[in-house]
Amino acid sequence: MLKKILLIEDDKFLRELMNKKLLTMGYDVVCASDGESGLVAIKESKPDVVLLDLILPGINGFEVLEKAKKDPETANVPVIILSNLGQSEDIEKGLKLGAKDFLVKAHFTPQEIITKLKTIIE
Amino acid sequence: MYEEQSNFKETKEEALRRVRVALLNILEDTEVSRKDAVNEKNKTMAIIENLTDGILLLNRNNEVEIISPPVVDFFRKEKEEVVGKNIFDFLSGEDFKNLREQLVDEEKKKMKQVFRQEVSISNRLDLEVTTVFLKTESEERGVLIIFHDVTRDKLVERMKTEFVSISAHQLRTPLSAIKWTLRMVLDGDTGELNVEQKEMLEKSYVSNERMIALINDLLNVSRIEEGRFLYKQEPGQLEDVVKTVIDSSQELLKMKKISLSVDIPQEKLPLVNIDNEKMELAVQNLLENAVKYTPEGGSVHISIEKHEAEIVFKIKDTGVGIPETEHERIFTKFFRGDNVIKMETEGSGLGLYTTRNIIDAHRGKIWFESKEGKGTTFYFSLPFAKALTA
Repeated sequence: MLKKILLIEDDKFLRELMNKKLLTMGYDVVCASDGESGLVAIKESKPDVVLLDLILPGINGFEVLEKAKKDPETANVPVIILSNLGQSEDIEKGLKLGAKDFLVKAHFTPQEIITKLKTIIE
Repeated sequence: MYEEQSNFKETKEEALRRVRVALLNILEDTEVSRKDAVNEKNKTMAIIENLTDGILLLNRNNEVEIISPPVVDFFRKEKEEVVGKNIFDFLSGEDFKNLREQLVDEEKKKMKQVFRQEVSISNRLDLEVTTVFLKTESEERGVLIIFHDVTRDKLVERMKTEFVSISAHQLRTPLSAIKWTLRMVLDGDTGELNVEQKEMLEKSYVSNERMIALINDLLNVSRIEEGRFLYKQEPGQLEDVVKTVIDSSQELLKMKKISLSVDIPQEKLPLVNIDNEKMELAVQNLLENAVKYTPEGGSVHISIEKHEAEIVFKIKDTGVGIPETEHERIFTKFFRGDNVIKMETEGSGLGLYTTRNIIDAHRGKIWFESKEGKGTTFYFSLPFAKALTA
């Protein structure tokens, strides 16, 4: 079965790029463009990994992460933060809340992001 | 006999007169001193009343003796409400919870010694508080509490931090889009490219990477200037940091055909307090500079040595060197050597500035030797972790 990736990203173009790359690499992709719909999608589509942006309209990525980790139904879904924040404080906060990894978008290519993602799925 | 007596009487009168004069003099001196004292007191009060910092003076029973106008403003209490009151009663309300925690040792019912402690009183008032214990040789004379208003500074600091992180985020998002697009096109995700297309896009990719690096540099500089650059210092091995940087720089060295030799002692070196991420950045900046300003085929040598109470890192290149006249300026922000500007090398002029700040923040030292046309050697030293806590 195809591995399913949930992409929570508010920038339309970045979402399209990442979506395309994930599809060509043979993943099943679900997208969400804000925090609320992202949370719903984590519950409903049961992804193998979530790629989570932090600055989102409505509830931000930290809150999404916190809520997902509190809900026993979704607590075990691995989350990788993919954001353009990247100060030590943000990184520590994200990891403390239970993210598996913290990637700064501008520092990774889509290929490198997928390589990171693979190490978590497999 | 009579004469003697009269003489005696005269001397007695004389003596009495002298005593009277002396007493009058003393009285006069006392009056002058009293006036002086009153003047002094008025002067002191005038100084206290007109200071922009707020002053609370407690007597030795911790009762408020003097409260200056700014403190009246800060705490919105009338002078009459406060003077003569015990400081612990004064601070007992919920409004002063933060201040009480910083100032009062609740168990011992004593004032604490604090120096420039920042206390947030409310969301529109931040104070920096200092206590001074007044003592003469033998006895305690009370406590002076100084309040310095830092509300505005804190506001500006918060605004700046917010501005920097938001702009970094805003700038990085379109740059990420460019990076991802170029990479995917270059990787052939949208079909084959011809050689010329590939070359041009490769160059734009590098250009974009430079922009991303520049934003990182600017972010770092703004953090340095806020004075909260280092995040977490922990005892660690400098050699580990250096090895990580060397490992991640292999590509760069290969590209410029520069041979790197490394001389790190076999045995474990003493621990030094380091913020890993920042120290990596410092070493990386030095290594990148060495490579960037050394012509193809040159060499770079890195060594780490243990000295008496510190570890010394050294990086020597066979590069273009730094012109003698510019030696003084090389650690300043945006500095770039005259000779390297002509070489059309890229650089923001922020690398060495950042590096020096990182080393300074680790209580280390950084210095260099350079001869134009021959090469440059940079050194930095970090004190052993033990020595730092002692």
